[in-house]
Amino acid sequence: MNPLSELQLDTLTEIFNIGAGRAASSLSEIVGDQVKLSVPRVQLYKSSDINAEVLSLNGLRVGAVKQSFSGPFDADAMLLFTEERAMEIVHDMMGSQVAIEDVAEFEQEAMCELGNIILNACLSSMADMLDLSLDSSLPIYSVGATDLILSQIVSEADQPVMLVLHIDLAIEKHLSQGYLVFLLSSSSLRELLAHIDRFISRI
Amino acid sequence: MNFRPDYHTSIWEEIWDAVKLGLILIDSEGKVLLWNDWVAEHSGIPAEFASNNSLESLFPGGLSAPFKTAIKNALSHKLPIILSNALHRSPLPIYPLPITQHEQKRMQQSITITPICVSGKEHLCMIQIADASISVKREGVLKSHSERLSKEATTDGLTGAYNRRFFDERFAAEFGRAQRQNIPLSLIMLDVDYFKRYNDHYGHPAGDKILVAVVTALKAQLNRPTDVVVRYGGEEFAVILPDAEVDGGRIIAEKLRVAVADLSIPHCESKVADHITVSVGIAAYQPGTSCDATCLLKAADAALYDAKHNGRNCVRHLTSAEFSPSGLANEA
Amino acid sequence: MPHRNNIRTLLIVDDSRVSRMMIRTFVLAKHPQWIIIEAASGNEALEIVDRDTPNYCTMDINMPGIIGTEAAAQILAKYPGIRVAIFSANIQESHQTRAATLGAKFVAKPVTERTVALALDFFESQT
Repeated sequence: MNPLSELQLDTLTEIFNIGAGRAASSLSEIVGDQVKLSVPRVQLYKSSDINAEVLSLNGLRVGAVKQSFSGPFDADAMLLFTEERAMEIVHDMMGSQVAIEDVAEFEQEAMCELGNIILNACLSSMADMLDLSLDSSLPIYSVGATDLILSQIVSEADQPVMLVLHIDLAIEKHLSQGYLVFLLSSSSLRELLAHIDRFISRI
Repeated sequence: MNFRPDYHTSIWEEIWDAVKLGLILIDSEGKVLLWNDWVAEHSGIPAEFASNNSLESLFPGGLSAPFKTAIKNALSHKLPIILSNALHRSPLPIYPLPITQHEQKRMQQSITITPICVSGKEHLCMIQIADASISVKREGVLKSHSERLSKEATTDGLTGAYNRRFFDERFAAEFGRAQRQNIPLSLIMLDVDYFKRYNDHYGHPAGDKILVAVVTALKAQLNRPTDVVVRYGGEEFAVILPDAEVDGGRIIAEKLRVAVADLSIPHCESKVADHITVSVGIAAYQPGTSCDATCLLKAADAALYDAKHNGRNCVRHLTSAEFSPSGLANEA
Repeated sequence: MPHRNNIRTLLIVDDSRVSRMMIRTFVLAKHPQWIIIEAASGNEALEIVDRDTPNYCTMDINMPGIIGTEAAAQILAKYPGIRVAIFSANIQESHQTRAATLGAKFVAKPVTERTVALALDFFESQT
C-alpha cells in the first residue's frame, strides 16, 4: 500500500527529520552527550498488514508510548521499542548511576518521557511546516507480549491506515531501532494529504 | 465538570489550595497567575510574592535547563510535556517539609506541564509537581524480579563476552543500519587453534582460562564502544565492527591475532606454534552489493575456514564484492 | 535595485527535493536573477563546486554519502571564498560548533522565509 507521491513522501520525511532533530536536541540536553536520531524511512501500511515480522520487532515483549492527538485530522501516535531496547535506552539516558538490573523500576516513567519528547517533536514539526494546530493527550506507556500489543494497536477498526516511521536512535554506545506509528482513519489520511498538497503547492 | 451556580465563585481557590500536589499556572509570557499552597509551602515563596513574576526570577539559577526548554516548548507548541523523576530527579528548587535554611536536599519530583486553552484568549500553561520520593520506592517493590532484564540474558557466563543471542539481534540491527545508511560493516570470526588438543592435554579448567584470557585480549584491542566481542560458540568468537571497510577491518583482525599470540600462553600440542594462537576470518559488507546478513555471516565463516586451511595463526578476508549469496552456497 | 553585477550563483545541497524547492523559491523571490544549482548529496556538491564555482552554498547535514559538515569543510578548504550556510534539522550543539569552526553560518530548519533570510543576510554580509 503506497498511494503517496514522491513529493508527498519527501515532505513527510523532511517533517519527521526536523522532528527528529528537535527530539535529539532535547535528549542530548538530558543525557549531556550527543544523541543520534534519524528517520531513515517513512512507509504507509494497511493496519491489517502489520505484525511483528513486518516491523521486525523480534523481541518477546514491546513497550509502546501512545499519545492521541487531534486537530484538522486525528491520529494515535505511538513509539514502539522492544522491551530489551527500551531498557538499554533508559539505562543510557539515566547514566551510570543506576545498574541495568534496577532500570526496570524507572522504565515506565522514563519511556513515557522519551516517547513524549519524540512524539511532541514530530507533532510540532508537522504543525510548523503544514501551518496547523494540534492538541495532544499526555503519553501512556504499556508493555507486554509483542503480538498482544500489536494486535491491540491494529484492532482499532476505524483506523485502517498506519504511517510507519523507522527510527534509529543512538545514545552513548547503544544503537536502537524502533518505530513511530501513526494510526489514521481514512478521512484523517485524506485530510493529512490535503494539507501536504497545499504545502507543496505553496512552494 | 459542572457545579451548582451558587458554589461557583470561591470553590476553585479552595480546591486549588487543598490539593496535595504542586500547581502553578503561568501565562504565555511565563508570568505566574496561580501558585497553590503546596508550592508556597515547599518553595518557601508565598503566593502574593510569586504572582506575576517569572519562574526564572523566582528561582534565580535554580531551574534545570531541560525544565526551561520544556516550558518554552509547551508555550510555543501547545503540547503537553512530562519530566520524569527517573531522568530529572529535581528540576525545581522545592524541598521536603520542614524547610530549613541551609544545604537541604531538593525534593524528588515528577512534573507534568499541560497547555490550557482559554477560549478566545491566550494559551496558558499548568505545571503539576508531584512528590516522587514515595512512588519511587513503591515501584521498586512492585516490580517482580522475574520481569527484570538480567545481564545474564545477553552475556556469556564464563568469559563475560556477549552471547549468541545478543549477537543475533545486534548483528541483524547493525546490518540493517549499514544497508539503510549506505555504510560498510565488517564481521570478524575467529577460532582458537588446536583448542581441543589443549583441553585434552591441560584439562578443561585450563581451557576455560584460555577462553577468558582470549576475550580480555580481544576487548583490549577494540576502542570504539560500538565494536562488540561475542562468544559465538565453543572456542569460536565473533567481532562486529560497524562502519568499518575491509581494509580497516583487516588491520583490526591482525591486531586481534597478534594480541592473542602476545599472551604467550604455552601450548605444546599446537602444530603451528608453541603458544596459543587464533585463526581469523573477516568479511566486509560494501554498500550497494547484493549481500544480506546471512550471506555476510557465511562469508566471514568461509574466510575463517580459509584461514584454518592455510596454516592457521593467520588472517583471511573476503569483501561482499567478491561473494554473492549463490557463490557462497557453492563453496559451502 | 538589482542589476547585472548583482548576479550570484547559489548551490543548494539537500537530499530532500522539497527543501531544495523551498530554498530556491524563497531565494528567487528576493533575487530573481540569481543562478541556482542543486545537488542531492555532499559528493555531488563537491563535483559541482569544481565545475562551476558558486558564490554561495546552503548545505544540509544528514544526507546519504558524506555528511554535510564534512562536504562543507572540503569545499571551504579548497575555495575559502565561497560563503556556506549549514541548513540543518540537526540542531545539536556539536553541529553548531562545527559550523562555527568552519566559518559557516548555522541555520536551523525548517526552511521558511525567515530562515532563508538568515542565510541570505550571511551571504551578503562583507562581500
